[in-house]
Formats: sequence, structure tokens, C-alpha cells
Amino acid sequence: MLGITTYRVQRQLSLCLVAIVAFLIFASQGSATDRKTIGVIMTGDIPYYAKMHRAFTAKLSREGYGNVEILLQKPYPDLISWSNAARKLVAVDVDIIVTYGASATIAAINEKTNIPVVYAGVHHPAAIGITGKNTTGSVAKVPTSSLFRYLKGITSISNLGVLYSELEKDCMKEVEELEALSRELGFKIVKINIKRPEDAKKIKTAGRLDALFLTSSASVNMALDPILDIARANRLPTASLLKGENNSGVIVTLSTSPEEQGELAAEKVIKILRGAHVGAISSSTGKDIELIFNLRENMSMGFKIPMDLVTEATKIVQ
Amino acid sequence: MFDKKKFIFNLIVLAFIFTPLRISAKQDVLQEEILIGLIPEQNIFKQMDRYRPLASYLSEKSGVRIRLTILSRYGDIVERFVSRGMDGAFFDSLTGVMAVTKLGVEPVARPVNLDGTSTVRSYIFVRADSRINSVSDMKGKRIVFVDRATATGYLFVIAFLQEKGISDINKYFGEYFFTGSHDSAIYSVLDNRADIGSAQSTIFNMLVSKDPTIRKELHIIAQSEEFPETTLCLRKNISSDIKNRITDILLHMNQDPAGKEVLKKFGALKFIRAEVKDFNPVFNLAKRARVDIRGYKGER
Repeated sequence: MLGITTYRVQRQLSLCLVAIVAFLIFASQGSATDRKTIGVIMTGDIPYYAKMHRAFTAKLSREGYGNVEILLQKPYPDLISWSNAARKLVAVDVDIIVTYGASATIAAINEKTNIPVVYAGVHHPAAIGITGKNTTGSVAKVPTSSLFRYLKGITSISNLGVLYSELEKDCMKEVEELEALSRELGFKIVKINIKRPEDAKKIKTAGRLDALFLTSSASVNMALDPILDIARANRLPTASLLKGENNSGVIVTLSTSPEEQGELAAEKVIKILRGAHVGAISSSTGKDIELIFNLRENMSMGFKIPMDLVTEATKIVQ
Repeated sequence: MFDKKKFIFNLIVLAFIFTPLRISAKQDVLQEEILIGLIPEQNIFKQMDRYRPLASYLSEKSGVRIRLTILSRYGDIVERFVSRGMDGAFFDSLTGVMAVTKLGVEPVARPVNLDGTSTVRSYIFVRADSRINSVSDMKGKRIVFVDRATATGYLFVIAFLQEKGISDINKYFGEYFFTGSHDSAIYSVLDNRADIGSAQSTIFNMLVSKDPTIRKELHIIAQSEEFPETTLCLRKNISSDIKNRITDILLHMNQDPAGKEVLKKFGALKFIRAEVKDFNPVFNLAKRARVDIRGYKGER
């Protein structure tokens, strides 16, 4: 009697053990196939990209993809760092590479892998070679001429300081657009190459300037604080193509919404995760353009109130 | 961040508190007074800057104190003309038609622009780099209007689209919105805040004359027939003496050196006599857009 009971218990325990092992095997196989990894390259530590990334991850979570693993790379804005960041993501074989800004996107494309690349916050993708069957993304086009027009409403401009980085192709297109505008309108462009925050000092030795135009360069935006200190000290109004913090100190900003850019990138990533081929997903252009006027900064620097800006601005900082 | 509307409202209030004082201080010997309304063709600050010298000149020459008031928006303009006790207004073509039809106001005079015309057109425009070349390219895009109560900033577009088979803008466009002024509609497209816009030709050309790069950046897809320029209309029971004095001064101010200076600031060569029949093209446009002027309020 005792022998039969022991046999039954042993048999039941064996069956349970087999069931547990089988469950663990299937469960581990399931997670290995279901849990995706997304590599993200976010240049530097600038608020525009940080906002974009927050919107990107929030959208993924809302759509039920909060469990994807995100490997975030924050390279310094130089060619080697961008390349290293992209190479690391390829080495760990992420499922999708998401890039914020043109330079990070170019670095990812240059790796020539089959990993889909989804970009956000790129101003002129076609003009700088961001194309290909393995690439899609959201375009953040803002007319530089419009921003210059508003800046001109604050003060008359004969000499415009243009802050850019020669390493960043997207901002070089903006410089080209400003050069074309300067030829038409008869003002002078003073180009100031910013590779690191210390380069902001170059503004002081650039000769006579009437205003500063900050391109979408990551290097320029990483050097924002020293740039604005010099602008204030020399009473130079500033204009930027990238939205920063709520009161960054830039007087006029015309920028695509980073939140919208992040969400558009997330929508494309979700399509890929659901099985769509990246080549079948067309790129889209951001619709939410923000015109921000910092009245407080404008008044503290003693400039007139430009009524066009006051009436047109989507946000006024007071 | 703060309440932008409240800020602009405060600026307007300040502007209006001080404006009449300046004029009345100069004109304190004047006994008669009339109130003239201005439509918000451009942003209200520019609009006041444009009309203030003209009001001062008319006051001085006629002996009638002219007070100006901005109608903050086009819609309900006819009702507000009555409720605010206005004696006249510079109406655009559609509000002019509405005021003539509903209130029987009398058109008095309208300006001749610097290019010799006394008419305006509606332009439908896009950014030149937008790749929008036809109505079919506009599907799903963002369109900006000035106000439902404008011929050049709304009604022409509706008529144009209906003739192309588009009867419901809600379904055809991804988004549409109203800016309240013509210059703002133009800036919205320039800034890429909208894909397609419509506005009055004179305001469009005025911005282009100040900044020629705008002409290269915008592509005009369609333009309307000619409608009368902004027209001064006076209420029907205003004293004929005042009406005649004001009309006479406006029609002859181009022969007076001081008047010429005022016209220069206003951006016109002279004023010409206006009549109800000038508005016939607008009545036709309303028919094309299937709008009954008598019942039309132009509300957003």
C-alpha cells in the first residue's frame, strides 16, 4: 500500500518537474524571440533631443511596447564618437536603430547593416544623402528665412553671426540658405564654427555683429549657455532653430516640436515591430511648428517689442 | 509661459486708452464726433498706425472729430457696427456687402493703391518648395484662412474648391484654422505652420515690397477676380452735411500737400468715389460659394 502511494507521489512529482522544465524552456524561448532591442543615438545632452526621446519612449509605452529594451548612446558631437555609437549598436545586433539628428543618422547609415534606421529631427534628409531602402524617419524642416525675418524685426542687421559646426551636414545646409538670403537682402554673414563649448569665445573676436543665428547644430546647442552669456554681455539678440528649455534665454525660436518628432519616430518603430518592412514606411514631415518669443529676455536686453512676433508667436515667455 | 491672448488684449487696451486722448487733445475745439470702425486686415497695431494719420487729417479738415475703433474680428461685424453705435467703417468687400445688404450703409470712397488699382484679389498660395501644385495635391494638408467673413481670405477659396468638386473642407483637409488677419495667414505659410493659405493681394504685395524674398518663397496657385478695395461706408442716416464734408475731403486730399503726405503714409495715391454696384463681383462670388448674404454671419 505504502509502495503504491510512494510510486504515485513520485510519478506526480516527475510530471510536475517535466511541466516546470517545459514551461521554463518555452518561456525563455518566447522572451528571446519577443523582446526586441532598440538602439538609440542621441547626440550630446541637449534639451531638444531629450524631449524627443521622452516622447518616443512614452509613445512606445502607450502603444503597448513598454517592454522593449532601449540601449541609449549619447555620443559627443564628433565623427569618431558618432561612428563608435553606431558601431556598438550594430555589434550588439539591435533590432532597430533610432537616431536623433542628421549626424547620428549618417553614422548609422554608414555602418551599412541590414538593421532598419529610423531618424527624427533631421532638417534636410534628401539634400545630405539620408536616403535608402533601410531608412525612414521624420523630417523637421523649418524655413531659416522665416526665422531670420523675425530676428530682423528685433534689430536691424548688417552683420549676422551664424553659429554652426562644419562637422554637421544638416546645419551646413542652413548656412547655405542664410548665405543665399544675405546675397539677396544685402547683409553680411560672419560664420563662427563651434565644435565645443569653449569655441563660444570666438563670438567675441568675430568683429562687429548685430545678432546671432543658432543653427540646428548639436555642437552649437551644447554650447548654448556660454553663447547666451556672451550674447547678453554684448547685447546681441539670438535666434534658434531648435527649441530648448522653456526659458532658455534665446529671444526667438522657430522649431518643430521635439515631442511630435519623437512620436513620429515611435509610430514608425511600432510599424516595424509589427512586421512592416522599413522600406515600405514613407518618411513624414513634422506639422507642429512652434514660434517662441522670449519677451523677458528681449526686454532685459532693451530691444523694441516686435509686434509681428508678438502676434504670430505660438508661445511667449514673460 | 503666460496667457498670450491676455497680453495682447492688455496692449490693445493701453493703445486705445492713449490713442483717443492724443487726438482729442489736438482737436478739443471740435464739437461733432463720429466713430469709424476698422477691420483687422493686418495686425491691429499696423492697422492703427496706417489709419491714425488719416483720421487726424479728416478731423482737422472737416471739423468733425474722427474716432477710430478696431473691430477685433470680421465675424459679427454687422451686429457690432450697430451695438457699438458706429457711424461708419472701412469695410472689406464681403463685410461691405453684408453691411450694405443688412444695414443699408452707403459706400462713400475707397483708396487707389500705389499700383493704380482700387481693387483687390484673393490669392491662394503655398510655399514654393511644398510640391503642392494643384487641388489634388492639397488633400490631407493644413490650410489657413483669414476669417469666414472675408471674400479674399475665405469665400473665394470655398467657391474655388466647390468648382473643383470639393464641398467639405472638414473632410478634404487634414486641418484648417483661421488667423484673423491677412498678414498672419501669409506668415503661417511662410513659417510652414500651414501648407496652404489665402489672403488679400494688397497685403500680400505690401509684405513682398518690404521683403522681396517672400515672393520667391511663396507660389500663388490661384487668384480671384477683382473685388473693391477696403471701402469707407457711412450709416444711412448720418447727417448729409457730415457725409458730404468727409467725402469731399477724401476725394480731393491728393490735391493738398498735407493730404498727399497722409496718403503716402496710408499707402495710397488718392481716394475715389465708391458705389453699391462696385460690390457686384462679391454678390456673384457669394452665389458661386452657395452663400446667402442675408443670412450669412461669417462666424467661425
